Parts: sequence; C-alpha cells; structure tokens
Amino acid sequence: MRYDFFSEGCYGDLRNGVCCKLLVAAFLLLLPLVLLSRDNSNENNHRDDSLPVIIAASEPDYPPFCFVDKNGNPAGFAVDLFRAAAEAAGYSVDFRIGVWEKIKQDLARGTIDALPLVGRTPEREDMYDFTMPYLSLHGAVFVRNGTTGISSVEDLRQKEVVVMKGDNAEEFVRRENITTKIFTTPTFDNAFIKLAAGEYDAVITQRIIGIRLLEQMGITSVEPLPFQLPEFRQDFCFAVTEGNDSLLASLSEGLSIAIANDTYEQLHYKWFGPEIQERIALKDILRNALYITVPLFIIFSVMAIITLRRLIKKRTRDLRNEIAGHKQTLELMHKQKLLLNEMEKVAKTGGWEYDIDQKIVTWTDGIYEIFAVQRNSFDPSDFDRNLNFIDNEDRQAFLELFTDSMKTGEPYDIELRLHAADGIFKWVHMAGRTELKNGKVVRMYGNISDITQAKQSHEKLKNSEEQIRLLLNSTAEGIIGIDTDGRCTFCNQSALRLLKYDDERSIKGESILQLIYDKHSDKTAMPGAGQGIIRAIEKGEGFNADNELFYRSDGSSFISEYFSHPVKKENKVVGAVIAFWDITRRKKDEEELKSLKDGLEKEVAERTGELNEKVQKLNRIQKAMLYMVEDLNYITAELKEEQQKLERSNKDLEAFTYSVSHDLRAPLRSISGFTSFLMEDYAGKLDSEGMRLLTIVHDNAKKMDTLITEILNLSRISRTEMRSSEIDMTALANSMYHEVATEEEKRSFSLRIKKMPPSKADPVLIKQVWQNLIGNALKYSSKSENKRIEIGAEDNNKEVIYYIKDAGAGFNPEYTGKLFGLFQRLHTENEFEGTGIGLAVVKQIINRHGGNVWAESRINKGATFFFSLPSESYYSIKSKSHEKVE
Amino acid sequence: MKRLNEVEILIVEDNRNDTEMALRALNKNNLSNNILVVGDGEEALDFVFARGKYAGRDKDARPKIILLDLKLPKIDGLEVLKVLKSHPESKIIPVIVLTSSKDESDLIKSYRLGVNSYIMKPVDFDKFVNAIRDIGLYWLLLNQQPG
Repeated sequence: MRYDFFSEGCYGDLRNGVCCKLLVAAFLLLLPLVLLSRDNSNENNHRDDSLPVIIAASEPDYPPFCFVDKNGNPAGFAVDLFRAAAEAAGYSVDFRIGVWEKIKQDLARGTIDALPLVGRTPEREDMYDFTMPYLSLHGAVFVRNGTTGISSVEDLRQKEVVVMKGDNAEEFVRRENITTKIFTTPTFDNAFIKLAAGEYDAVITQRIIGIRLLEQMGITSVEPLPFQLPEFRQDFCFAVTEGNDSLLASLSEGLSIAIANDTYEQLHYKWFGPEIQERIALKDILRNALYITVPLFIIFSVMAIITLRRLIKKRTRDLRNEIAGHKQTLELMHKQKLLLNEMEKVAKTGGWEYDIDQKIVTWTDGIYEIFAVQRNSFDPSDFDRNLNFIDNEDRQAFLELFTDSMKTGEPYDIELRLHAADGIFKWVHMAGRTELKNGKVVRMYGNISDITQAKQSHEKLKNSEEQIRLLLNSTAEGIIGIDTDGRCTFCNQSALRLLKYDDERSIKGESILQLIYDKHSDKTAMPGAGQGIIRAIEKGEGFNADNELFYRSDGSSFISEYFSHPVKKENKVVGAVIAFWDITRRKKDEEELKSLKDGLEKEVAERTGELNEKVQKLNRIQKAMLYMVEDLNYITAELKEEQQKLERSNKDLEAFTYSVSHDLRAPLRSISGFTSFLMEDYAGKLDSEGMRLLTIVHDNAKKMDTLITEILNLSRISRTEMRSSEIDMTALANSMYHEVATEEEKRSFSLRIKKMPPSKADPVLIKQVWQNLIGNALKYSSKSENKRIEIGAEDNNKEVIYYIKDAGAGFNPEYTGKLFGLFQRLHTENEFEGTGIGLAVVKQIINRHGGNVWAESRINKGATFFFSLPSESYYSIKSKSHEKVE
Repeated sequence: MKRLNEVEILIVEDNRNDTEMALRALNKNNLSNNILVVGDGEEALDFVFARGKYAGRDKDARPKIILLDLKLPKIDGLEVLKVLKSHPESKIIPVIVLTSSKDESDLIKSYRLGVNSYIMKPVDFDKFVNAIRDIGLYWLLLNQQPG
C-alpha cells in the first residue's frame, strides 16, 4: 500500500524543476495505469439496476476526496472508493450532493444510508458506525505568507483561528482548546478567502486538502506552516447510520475486497496521479526557464544543493514522522483484520471468492473455521474435495443450484448440511453472488454461515410448536386466536369441528366476528355482535359470555359459552384467544328444568289455592253446621215444647174419648134400655104405630153407639203405640174372613186366598185392616149375583202390595179421592149400611206403617182395594233408622 | 142388719138408670136376692170393711160378688179395686168390673189390680142380660169360694 500523497505537501512547497522532472518521469510511467483505471471507473459507472441501492452523499468542496466535477457529478477518491466497495459487496450507489453540515445530519437521521468520507472522532462514535479506516490525514495550520511567531500549536493560543463549521478541525480546536477565539465558516473556501483578505490569523484543516483548495482557488498568499498537529491526525472511514450493521458489514467486506484486489491502489493513482499531470502544464515554463536561465543554472544549482540539503534534512525528519504514522496505520489495519477474524468467529461466518478463469478459490478465516481445516495445509481451490464436506442428501441440490448460477449469473441462497473435517455435523447457510463480464460469469463470491444453533433452536421451536398444536387439538373446546383486527391467526381442530369447517385455511386470516356471528344480508355484522371479543382486544380485559349464538359454516347456529383472553406483548395487546364450546344442550336442559320448576310451582300454587278454597269451604260448612246445630237446638227446644203440647192435648184427647165412651154412652144406654123396657112391659098397651116409633128410637140409639165405638176406635189407632211382629198374612186374612163372614155368607161366597208374603207390622191393627176390607167386600157383594172374593199380594222387593178383589157393586172411579175420607160414603144408607169410618181406619193404619192405600173400580164391575207395606227387609231398615233418629 | 150380712151381690154404681138396668138384668136371670147397691167407692169400701155406716155389720159376711163401676164419685172404681185386692179379707171376693167402653187402658189396669172379670155395659140391653147371666152363673153358682 502506498501513501505517496503524504509527500505532496513538499511538492507543493518545492515547485522546482528537479521535482518536475521526476514527476514527468513518474507520470509517463503511470499514464497507462491511469487510463486503465479510468476505463475501470467508466465501467464501474455502468450500474446494474437490479442491485440493491445505497443512498450516499458527497460534499461539493472536499477535493480530491469528495467534490463536484465540471459536469456537476460527485467525484473524488472517496466517492470512487465507496462505489468500488459497494459494488464489491453487491450494491449500487445513488450519490447525492450536499453541504457537509447537512449531509452529516442526514446520515445521523437515516435520511441517507452512508457517507464515503467521514473522519472518525470520539464525538461521532455515538452518531455513526464506521468501517475500518482507509485513509489517514494530518492537519496543518495555514497562515498568510510572512506571518511570524507561530511555530507550534501553543503559539495559536491568542490567535483568531477559523475552521469549517462541523468539520473535524472544529472538533479538534474545541476539543484541544487550541484558542479561545474560534470562528467558523460554512466551507473552507470561505475561510481561506477571509484569511487571504486579512481577516483572522489562521485556518486549520487537513494539510493536503488545504493545499489543494488554495491551488484551485489560485490563492498564493496563504501557506501551511511546517509543523505537525499530532492530535489532529484524522482517520477516514465509510460511515453508516448507527445500528445499520448489515450495511456496515457489507461495506467493510467491499472495502476489504477493494483493498485486496488493488482497486484501492488504482484509484489512488487515479486521484493523486493527475496532480502530477497538472504539473505538466508547468513544463513549458520550466523549459523556457531552462533555455533562458542555463547560465544561471549552475549558480542556482549550487544554491539549490545547499537548499536541497537543508530540505532533505527536513524532509527526512518529516519522512520519519510519516513512517511513524504509516506504521500506526498498519497496526490499525492489522487490528481491523484481527477484528474481522474475531467477528467472523463470533458470527460463525466467512467469505469466499471463486475466480473462475484462474480456478482459484479464496476463503476468509471464518470458512476455514467452519470446515475445521487449517489455512496452511488446506487448499480451498480443490472444488471436488470441498463438495465432500456437504452431506450426501444436499450435495446434488447444491451442485444444481451452483451450476445454474454459473450459467445464468443468478445469485443463490441455500441451506446445507455439512460434515466438517473434525467430523462435526453442521447446518450452514450459503450465499453465492456472481460478477458478470460481457454476460459471462467471471467471478463468484459469497459467504457461508454456520446456522446449526439457529437450526437447532428452530427445530426445538418447531417441536414445541408441534406439542402446543397437539395440545390445542386434543382439547374439546374450540380455540381461536385473533389479531387486533379480529382476524384468525390460528385455530384448533375442535374449533373447526364446532364451526363445521373442513380446513383451517377457510378460517385463517378471516374476520372471526363476521364468520361466527349472525349478520345482515349484506354481510355486515349485527349491532353488538362479539362485544366480549372486541373488548378483549380493545380494553385488554378477559371476558366470559354464555348467551351468544355462534354460526357455523352451513348457516346453522349454536349457543356458545366462551372466554376471550387478551394476548399481550410488552404490555400491549397484540390479539386475543377465544376458547368456546357448544352449550345448546346445557341451555336446553336448564330451560326444561326451569319450566319443570315453573310447572311445579304453578301446580303447587294451584293445589294450595284449591286447598285454601277447600279449607274456606270447610270453614263455611263448619260455620253453617254451627248455625244448624244452633237451629237444631232451637228446633229441639221447640219440638220439646210441641211434644209437651202434644202430650197435653193427648191427655186432653184421652180425657175426652174417655168421657165420650163413658158419659156419652150412659144416656144412650138409658134410651135404648128403657125403650126396651117400655116395649117389654107395655107391649099390650101400645098400638103398632107406638111400637114402630119406639123401635126407631131404640135403633137410633144403637146406631149412635156404633158410631161412638168406631170413632173411638179410630182415635185409638192414632194414639196407641205400635208393636210390630211378623204376621202370616195368608193365615190372618183367612181367619178374619171366617170371623167376619156369617155362615150364610161363607156358603154363598167363593173365596180364593193366594199365598202371600209375611209382613212385619202391628198384628192388632193389621187384623183391623183385613176385618174392614173383608167386611166391605162381603157387604158390597151382598146384592150381586157373582159372590166372589180374591185375596193376594205381589212383592216388588221394595214393598208388598196386598189386594182384595170382589165382583160387587163397585164405585164410580170419579170419587176415588173421597173413598178413604172420614164419614165419606159413595152409597146411600138404604143401599148399603155403613158409618163411613172403616176405610178411613184402614188408611190410618196403613199410613202409620209407611204404606199406601188405593182402589180401582167401575160401577157394578166390582172393586179391588190395594194396600202396600214395606218389604220386611226394607221395613226393618227403615224401622232401624227410624229408631236411631228417635 | 141381718140382711146386710146376707148380701150376696154388691153393686157399686152411681148412675141410677144403669143400676136399674143391672138389677132388671139380674132379675131376669133370677139373681135378684140379697143385692145391695151403693152409689160411691167410699161406701162400697165401708161396706166391705164394715165401717162407717156399715160398722155394725159382720165383717166376715162377705158378698159373693162385687159388680164395680169404674166411674164413681169420691173414690173411683180402680182405687176401690186396688184396696179390695190388697186386703187379704177382701182379696178373695170376685170383683166384676162394669164398663161402658172396651177402653184398653182401663181393662189393663183392672187386670193388673187383680180384677176377676168384666162386663161391657152394652147399649143393647139384651146383650147385657146375656152377659150378666153368663158371669153371674159362673161366679155365683159354679165358682165356690173357699170356706
């Protein structure tokens, strides 16, 4: 590496012929190279548009490193070197132009990607990241010619020093407190103009730049002072925005390549060579001077030799300083190289290059490390041997990719499995890029990175993801993950099953709210749908609901219970997880249970109501019964009174009947008896008329006696106590017939008594009944020719109906109602004798037994008299119940 | 007084007409000897027990039969019967109750008090005569009292 330009300062100072000659010779030697490098630069300007672009910027006024050429394009050593490095790293560059102060800020802000020439200072470490330095410059103090009193930095203390604003010179003067009087200008041009015009005392800038600027501006009244500024040695690097590590790495790599393949050297010649060419313009002047001043030559030569010696001495001293600086730079370079190697080790990466024409493969240390081989014993150019490191399974794929790339120039990236020389298995990532020349690949380069660890952790991650997936799929709950837009990011098998989707691809990325909630016909969501889920995302709160309908893919729905949990990353909600299941069945059961409960409650209420009603009814009945008991007591009391009354009237009646039977009869007996005596004792003294009249008196007295007897009898029937016993009715009727009928009647009548059921009744009274009825039958048949009596009965279980049928006079049925009345007669006394009491007695007796009497007849067609008595069983029951009541 | 001790039939009857008819009926049956008629129960008992106006009479000369009407002034027929049948000296005297009705209560009471028989006083005198005959014959002639 050459740093010849450091000596430019002396060329500038000398400006003598010797130097010019030397320069001419050097120029002639270097010309082809310069031309060649121009070609290269032209070629390099031919940008490949497909490459990624770095946006860089250049200053207009920092020649020969960065400036604007006559065409207005950025130019300069740094610009070209940057282009070369970028291209080597596979980038193209878009250069912009701006004042240093501005582009410096642009880079810090990231508006541009990189700057080609940035001095590395402590102040800038925090703003930019730097590549290794490719250039070191030393500062110098520029003063107006003839200025004295400044021979070291210390002499500047009271001086007015001007620097470009933001330049490292400003940083230097402020950092080192060179002076208290520091002034700034936008550019160094301004500074020099002002210095030349007599303002300020000194300008501090890079020596080479200052000299170049002064020349460009044609200022000769300003010159640099010969002493060094040891603290203002500036290392120049490419700079990128802080943190842009990938670009930094690429540029570092590109810079390494540019240095390694002599591009740096060529550019150096290009930019510092033409300096000499420009001096060629002085050639004519020198030549003229040569011709004109030959005579003076010798004199000047001697003077020059003296001067030269002095200069050589000074130069030697300067050179020593330069060499020391050079050494320092070399050390730095070495350090950078070591750093690169260390970085490669740490990053487990390395670079390679394949020169196709030469069939030479070059590796950086990183690749030796990866393949576990030694640089001194292993030749990377043996392509076939290199292939053997690649795992059998990947080898073919790599070869195909590599061969393709060789043919087409397409870059490639592949992950490969390797078996390093020490037998260790590795995963590597290999990148390959190509360099084309005339459409043909002439160079291939790239890097290899050991990604075993990343692979393993990826594999681990994959396994754990698989486990999580299995876990998710083994749960019965549907689980859906959503992002903050409500779009599905994952779902498990249960979710697909519940929502009836065949494939998770039909859900993933879709809006869950639209998928599972009911919507209007235009597919917009119903108001309020999925509030719980939205809440999880918007408020970061968990939510549980069990009353929302989820819709399946086929449009059917189910009642869902779900929990939505927000998913947070660094305290920020990035989505939510929804776990849900179908609770339609549960809801139905709950509802059935509820309706059952309601039904039961209703029934209980109804029953209670009924019961209350019954209780009230019972209360009413009880009250009514209490009233009835009261009434009954009252009635009983009344009855008692009535009974007493009755008893009294019975007694009265008894006394009356007694009186009738005794007192009423006595006069009758007298009338009858004494009439009989009269008729006996005075029979001879009475004529027939007298006798007839006495007989009438006698008969009426007898008749009245009969009446009295029968009335008493009737009254006795209703008064006397009944004594029931079983009566053989057939026998009783028979005996009564024989008792009542006269002998003559017995002879003239034909009697038929059928077998009759027995009855339970008072025998005395029933005997009276038969007596009266048989008597009637005989009496009313007496005038009929057909003298026939039939007696019988019919039992209809409830009662026995007895009858007696004759063929006598009968009666007019119109008067049937009168038949059983007291003293009622349907025949005259002349036709048939009678008192009109007999049938009344019968009715009285039968009624007292609980039976009925009635009769059927027609005049002269006989009559049938019926009386009924309750059947024996019926009667007994009735009698018993009767007794109970009493 | 001698006659009183010979009384065979004592008639206790307050109705004169009835008494006359009874006497006529007895007479018709030739039973008219030694008959005494008293008009009330007290007198009847006085006679039987020889007290009052009959105090001088021989107490042991008892009538053969007493015809007793039930309806009597002062002491009625049933009371008389009760006294007669409750005293050993009078107990043995047959008492025939004369009644104008077959009123059962009277008859039952009479039988309970120990009456020997009864005769209905019929309106038909002939029947009365027949009844007196039947009873008189039995009690006066056939039914000999113990010594």
